[in-house]
Formats: sequence, C-alpha cells, structure tokens
Amino acid sequence: MRKNLLAILLVLPALVMIVLFFIVPLIASILGAFEVGDAWGLGNFRKSFELYSGDMIFTVVIVTVSTALIGIFSIAIGGYLTLGENPRAVAILRWLYRWPMFIPFIVVGQILRTFLAKNGLMNNIFVSLGVLTPLQTVGFLDWRGIVIAFVWKQTPFVTLLVAGAMASLDRSTIEAARNLGASRLRILIEIVLPQISGTLLVGLILSFVTMMSVLSVPLMINAQSPTMLTADIAFRINAHGDYGVANALGMISLILTTGVALIYLRQTMKERS
Amino acid sequence: MNAQAFLKVAGMSVGYGPTTVLDNLDLDIAKGEFVALLGSSGCGKTTLLRTIAGFAKPFSGRIEVAGRNVTELPPDKRGMALVFQSYALWPHMTVAQNIGYGLKLQKRSRETIQSRVAEMQDLLGLSDLGNRKPGQLSGGQRQRVALGRALAIDPEILLLDEPLSNLDARIRLTVRHEIRVLQKRLGITAVHVTHDREEAMVMADRIVIMNSGRIEQQGPPEEVYNKPASPFVATFMGAENFLPMQARVQGDLIELAEGAYNQASVTPRAGRSLATGPVELRFRSEAARLIPVNDAATQGTGQLELRGQIVSVSYPGGHWRHAVRLGDREILVDADRPFNQGETVKVSIPAASLFIFNTPANTAKVA
Repeated sequence: MRKNLLAILLVLPALVMIVLFFIVPLIASILGAFEVGDAWGLGNFRKSFELYSGDMIFTVVIVTVSTALIGIFSIAIGGYLTLGENPRAVAILRWLYRWPMFIPFIVVGQILRTFLAKNGLMNNIFVSLGVLTPLQTVGFLDWRGIVIAFVWKQTPFVTLLVAGAMASLDRSTIEAARNLGASRLRILIEIVLPQISGTLLVGLILSFVTMMSVLSVPLMINAQSPTMLTADIAFRINAHGDYGVANALGMISLILTTGVALIYLRQTMKERS
Repeated sequence: MNAQAFLKVAGMSVGYGPTTVLDNLDLDIAKGEFVALLGSSGCGKTTLLRTIAGFAKPFSGRIEVAGRNVTELPPDKRGMALVFQSYALWPHMTVAQNIGYGLKLQKRSRETIQSRVAEMQDLLGLSDLGNRKPGQLSGGQRQRVALGRALAIDPEILLLDEPLSNLDARIRLTVRHEIRVLQKRLGITAVHVTHDREEAMVMADRIVIMNSGRIEQQGPPEEVYNKPASPFVATFMGAENFLPMQARVQGDLIELAEGAYNQASVTPRAGRSLATGPVELRFRSEAARLIPVNDAATQGTGQLELRGQIVSVSYPGGHWRHAVRLGDREILVDADRPFNQGETVKVSIPAASLFIFNTPANTAKVA
C-alpha cells in the first residue's frame, strides 16, 4: 500500500504536467468547437464546411503530394548514399543533404518567396541565361510554392531516418543480390526498400503531421485563397476573434492526422503479427 | 598444381585503402575440386574469397575462370555464386522467392523458375517450406535456403564464406557432410573458407592453409596433417607441443643432441629441408606415448624419447590427457590409462609424428 503511494507520488509531477498543459487545453478546444453562443451545437462545423471546404481539400492534396514527393526524394538520396559507388559523390551528398533540416519553416518560406516569385531570383536566372524571356516567366507562389517549400524542408528529415535504416541493413543482403546480377535500381526497389519500409512510413507520417501544422509557409508563399487550414485558423482568431470556428477547423485537421496515424498503427500491427 | 586450372588466381594483391591484405598470391583450382581456405581470423582468407567473387578489387594480378579473364567483371558475370556467413537471406521474401530471385533476374519464364525452385527445394529438403519467410526457419534451414539460392542459377563455381559458423555444433556435423555430398553429386567447383581445421579436413579435396596474407601450405588433408611444411601449419593442424633442441644434419639422418630432458637420438631426415643448428620440435599429444620410467623396453629406432614428470591428469573423453613437465617446459601427452600425478615417465614419439623445423633466426641458412 505504502509502496503504491510512493509510486503514484513519483509519477504525479509528470501526470500533472500532461493533464494540465496537454489534456485540459485539448478538451477545452474540442468543447469549444461545439460551443455556439451559449448553447451546444454543430454550427461551427457547418460554418467551417461552408467557408473552408475548398481549403480542406487544398490542404489534404498539398500535404499528400508533398509527402509522396518527400518519399521519392528520400528513397533516391538514401539509396544513393547506400549503394553509390563513387565515394566522393557519396561524401558530398551526405554532407549536403541535411542542411535544410536546420532552417526554420518561416525562413524557408521567406527564401522561397524571393526565389520563386514571378520576378524572383529563379526566373531572373532563367532570363539572364536566355532560357526564358521576361514575358514567359511564371511565378510559383501558389500551391506549387508550398509543395516545393515542404519538400525542400522535410526531405532531409525523412532521408536521415531512411538512410540510417539503410545503413544498418545487413550489407550482405545487398551483395547477395549483386552476386545474382541485380542492378542497383532493382536492389534499391526489391531488396533495400522492403526492408526499411517501416522506417520510411514512420518518417512520412511524422512529416505529414508536421506539414499539417505549418502556418508560416502558406502565409509567406500563398496568402490568397485557397490556402491551408492553418492559415484559416489563424485568420479566424486574429481577424474575427472567432474561436468557435477556429476550434472546429482545428478538430478537422486533428481528424485528418488521426486518420494517418491509424494507417500507421494498422501497419505496425500487421508487421508484428 | 594442375596443368589446366579451372579457377586461376595469379599474382594477385588486394587490400583496403593503404593496407595490403594479400600480396602477390597464386592459387590454381581444378574443375570439380573442393578447396578449403583454412586460417585463423585476419589471415586474408575471406578477402581472397571476396576478391574471387568480385566484391573486392585487386590492386594487381589476374583471376581467370576456364581461361577467361574475369578480373574486371562484375560479380554476376563470373559464373560464381557466393554463400554468405550470415546467409544474407532477404527477410521480406519467401523461401521460394529467395531461391528463385537469381532466375527472375535472368528473366527466365515463370514456369522455368517454378520448376527450378521446386527442384532446389527437393534437393535440399525444403519442399514444404516454400511459403515460409526466413524468420520462420531454423538456422540449418536458412543455411540450406542460402545454398539453394546460390545453386539455383547453376553457377560453375560455388564460393562458401564460413557457411557453417552460425550453426549449432551438432547440426554443423551433418550439414558439412550434406554440402560435401551435394558438391560431389553436382560436380561443382567449390571454394570454402573456414577457420575450423576438422571442417576443412572432412570436406575438402585440398586444403590451402593461409597465414597473414600468404599461402603457407596446400595439399590433400592427409598431407597437410602429416607433413606440415612450417611450424605455423604444424601448430594449426594440432601439433601444439613445442620443444627447442639442437640438431645436426648428416646425409639422410638428423641427430638430435642430448638435452636437459632427452638422450641424443637419431631420426631419418625423410626429405625434410633442414640445416644444422637450433631447431624446434612439434608433435601432437595423441602421437606421443607415455611409458613408466622403469619399463625396460629399449628405445626404437628413429623415435625420440623424453623424460619428465606428470604435472596433472584430465579426462577429455576417450583417453587420458597428461601435462608432463620437461625441465622448464610443459607438454601434453595422451594415454589410454591415467598415470599418477608426480610420477616420472618416459615420453616416446615415433619418427613419423615428429615435426622438426629450423628456428626462424636460422632459416636464412636453408637454401
């Protein structure tokens, strides 16, 4: 009995922290989503779907496309780091690929805004190279800009996980495939990738959730409509003081990320059984 | 060794970065031969195998298969298949997929692959396990899948990198027999890397003993066992008793001078290249015989007789093992019956079991 009490005492500080700073605000925000004036109801959700259903689709499409691209790029980079035969190129790539990880999202948004704009650095370079004329230039400051920013920022993170998993594979499983005549691309797809798919999935899901919560990139790159849910939430609160709809939008994005988390849980359960 | 070597390694030097592991190494292997590369860890035997397989690039030298230079070819174009120490099975593929992968890469038809995989499974006793994943197999079964995967592509040469070292001692005995039978049946040329002397003896037609990147000796098992060419080989092949002596070479005879624990004796030279001077004697504990000191039997011709005291007795199974003190040295001698601790005994070693080498400082004189 006394032992039990001591155990509870030891856990208590952590428990209090979680309840006070995580569970209470979460519940408050969920309850807030159903609060319309002085009554309970679905009004906030109705309004959310009326005003922002386009943005919801926009958000899901952007984050999904970004996740797919991040997956492709991280597999390609990790694969080259693992299977590349030019030691110097591998060393340079290994040194280079991590940098974007250390740059905050807001700075990424700012960098890419000046780079991707219609008269930004990228188009200036193309024009000065004679590839494009000033009239042909197109700005990328729309959904494409957001995707580019997300992929640029999140690929190193997933690559880090993927390359680590690839490096810890039993090298001889790769050599055995080479011994039987598999090309490097086939080794990557048929031998390496299946063995690290769990790690890749975790990396992509964490990226998905991260991108769902980024406010600065859509604000910096694509402030017009349609935009991402995070920008809408900020707008509801800052411009209208409308916490009800903001909470409802928050819950909707929570449901979206929960869906992804469920896919992950099902996958890990399948792997364990 | 053979006029027509099937697999030929000529003047090959290999290393990693600035270190050279194998220096100017030559090795010829005949078609259908089973060769064991034997040596302690770090002797370069695995490097040699990996270079033959094409996973390490030699600094210089050539590798030929049936007269064809394969030195620059990638691993899959050499007609060789390697069985890895860790088996290197692909955990996400079934047994059948593992075995059939090489054929899939060769773009064989589905039917061909299926029948070949079934054939391999039958051959290796894996018939009911085709749909299992490697994680659901025992060590011995995994080993056989690895073998099946290598054999499925019908290689001319099978390379085995310590394939038995991850198996239980008991399974190992049966598997080494199985591999040998299979190799004979298929008539395939095999190169087997191992650090286990007995394994090499049982499996191989020829043993190549390696030491710090060089081939110390090669020959049939009975030859390297009974006629070791160097102290290293003698020790590695189990002749661990070691005694320093003075020797005088006279024609076909070797005179061993009287020492602290022996009378002078003469033994036939028997083709040994030996120079007069300090020598080291090596022999196996089971080759020597223990005789009570008061035994009147006279010393046989050619054999060496030593006099010492029993220090300890143990029973490792089958025979009694005695530690015998000779002056400042100790040797191990086996006998059918136990002698008493402290008893003074004679140790008799027949000429044929006596390995005599010049001590290294003296080897320069041997020309």
